Amino acid sequence: MELSKKDRFIQLIDEHKKIIYKIVNSYCPNRVDRKDLEQEIIIQLWSAFDAYNTDYKYSTWMYRIALNVAISFYRKERKWALKRDFIDEVSIFNMETNNLEQELERDHDIKLLQQFINNLNELDKALILLYLDNKKHNEMSEILGISKTNVATKIARIKIKLKKEFEKNRDNGNK
Amino acid sequence: METSELNRILETYNTKLDQNLSLNKAVLKNIQLEKSRKKTRTILVYRTIELLFFVFLALFLGNYVATHWSQTHLAISGSIVGVFVLIALSGSIGQVALLQQIDFSKPLVDIRKKIELVNVHELLFVKLVFLSAPVWWSYSLVALDAFLGFDLYPHLDPAFVQRYLVLNAVLVFPIIWLFNKLTYKNLHIQWVGKTIRFISGTKTIKALEFLNEIEEFER
Repeated sequence: MELSKKDRFIQLIDEHKKIIYKIVNSYCPNRVDRKDLEQEIIIQLWSAFDAYNTDYKYSTWMYRIALNVAISFYRKERKWALKRDFIDEVSIFNMETNNLEQELERDHDIKLLQQFINNLNELDKALILLYLDNKKHNEMSEILGISKTNVATKIARIKIKLKKEFEKNRDNGNK
Repeated sequence: METSELNRILETYNTKLDQNLSLNKAVLKNIQLEKSRKKTRTILVYRTIELLFFVFLALFLGNYVATHWSQTHLAISGSIVGVFVLIALSGSIGQVALLQQIDFSKPLVDIRKKIELVNVHELLFVKLVFLSAPVWWSYSLVALDAFLGFDLYPHLDPAFVQRYLVLNAVLVFPIIWLFNKLTYKNLHIQWVGKTIRFISGTKTIKALEFLNEIEEFER
């Protein structure tokens, strides 16, 4: 039986749920607001679902929309996203453990990486999220709208910063 | 940190997410997605109203100049006000065009730039008020005549008018210089930042700063 449009949409979100989770966690410092951002991303994805351009991968399309919504949300420009009018205070994610966030925070390296990402500016944050998701330079360039060379240069710079941050943290830990 | 170490951290992170994260499909199924699609962006409505207002004003001033063609001072004043209205109108047309191009499924940098250009729109009006400072007299002449039917010009002392015109002519160049200075490219100049913050508010300055960041990111 052929799936309905909504079922196909839910299936797509399910396949790429980690994209939404990582973007929401990186752009929304306030945990309470994260559910709002999840919802706004879902609404925008649904609004654009019919116009999806098959020339691009689903992940490219999803990254573009989710990052744009997240940056607008981060910059308190909710007028750019559609207003939420459906569910309140219910996350689209189920956590198998009681608190996935606490679980992740217990891992020192993951926590440090997350802190590093949180401290980057909006555009560098988008770049590093794509890099950490193993996106190729040409796909990152398509999502961000900058040249491949530029992508490579910026990643190299951010990696140096990241290396310094981890070294500094380890030095502090050894003292 | 080596790439291999970063990969190890990421692998751990992804494994934890794979093990612990699942989608609450029941919640997603209950979302009234169709309803949300019908919402229009209010900002586009505001800008369209603004555009229509300036179209009306431009037509009104065109008609005003045509009907007062024989009274030179009123025809000139009406034309001057008309020029500023046309600049504002072109700004509003640009805004509506920009808003229609905003599509979140397009590349990030391009969309962010368009959004920020919409966010700094208020600055255009502030700049127009500054730019029109040497010819503010034309606003009063037209307004008094159009709304109260009172022609102020014959009641003015010719010597005063002359001094006023000379002073305003002298002001034209500094005002144009100021107009060109007040852009995001000059935010690094302290007085430019302070002036924009004072006249247009924090929202505009934040948008201008982000435009700078975007340009930096593109380099």
